[in-house]
Amino acid sequence: MVKFFSSSNIYPLIQKLIKFINSIFFLILAIGLTFALVLSPPDYLQGDVVRIMYVHVPSAWLGLACFSLITLLSVLNFVFKIKNFYFINKSIAPIGLLFTCLAIITGSLWGQPTWGTWWAWDARLTSMVVLMFFYIFYILTFKLLKKEELIIKVSSIIAVIGSVNLPIIKYSVEWWATLHQPASIKITGSSSIHSAMIVPLMVMLLVFLLYAALIFLMKYKTEIIRIKKKNIKRNLFK
Amino acid sequence: MISNFITMNGYGLYIWLSFSVVFISCAVVYFKTKKTLKKYEQEFLSELQALTLEEKNKALENSKVAQQILATSSKAN
Repeated sequence: MVKFFSSSNIYPLIQKLIKFINSIFFLILAIGLTFALVLSPPDYLQGDVVRIMYVHVPSAWLGLACFSLITLLSVLNFVFKIKNFYFINKSIAPIGLLFTCLAIITGSLWGQPTWGTWWAWDARLTSMVVLMFFYIFYILTFKLLKKEELIIKVSSIIAVIGSVNLPIIKYSVEWWATLHQPASIKITGSSSIHSAMIVPLMVMLLVFLLYAALIFLMKYKTEIIRIKKKNIKRNLFK
Repeated sequence: MISNFITMNGYGLYIWLSFSVVFISCAVVYFKTKKTLKKYEQEFLSELQALTLEEKNKALENSKVAQQILATSSKAN
């Protein structure tokens, strides 16, 4: 299992995956944008401004998903000492930060016409800002600390503490009275969103997932090359 | 119809700004990541070229990664 995660085995796979994603990305993006901006109907209450949902919701989901994955891999790395998880986390964190920031910005742009304000310090919005700061602290450990063991320890602690914020983000709209609407899409139970809007949302989610995968693969590939470059003279890749 | 599409019934500013912010940010991150990757590939290749023939062969023998990078760069050239 650990051997499978060795860079020599993964590198050729990364090359193929990058090529594959590049070949289908723009087609799916075109379909997603056509659905989101043209084919999907306006909301009965919000009108056309609901189209912001097609970039806001996938961004928020990916921001949360990236941090969940970082926490999981940090714990696994701490227990099983699989060094590649450290590089995977290092590659995922900037993607998570990007999507969290995008969720906050697009949320603000959606808030002005629907709530009448760009920003409110309510539970959902504030917990998303807290998540953004956890991402920043997490990334800073890689930039500021030098010793790899210390980086793993500190970043794992930040990830575990930050993970407490994830259920707070998810349930903030139920626990407190907030401006933000409750979840329209539920994994268990029936969703309160029409299929004419779910389809574009899922296509746009796929676009965002493909983009995130592409950036992750490129960053991870860079990490592998960086490590190999460091070792080039030392032991000629043994 | 085109005018309706652009104005989005009065919400055009918010919608187009949201989509623009997302796509511009994503494009910037994509090109920055790609640039860094290319930079590291080039540096790696330069260091590989600087090795003696014996060391270079040994490195290529021991590393699938080095083989792949060399193959990709040969294709690109």
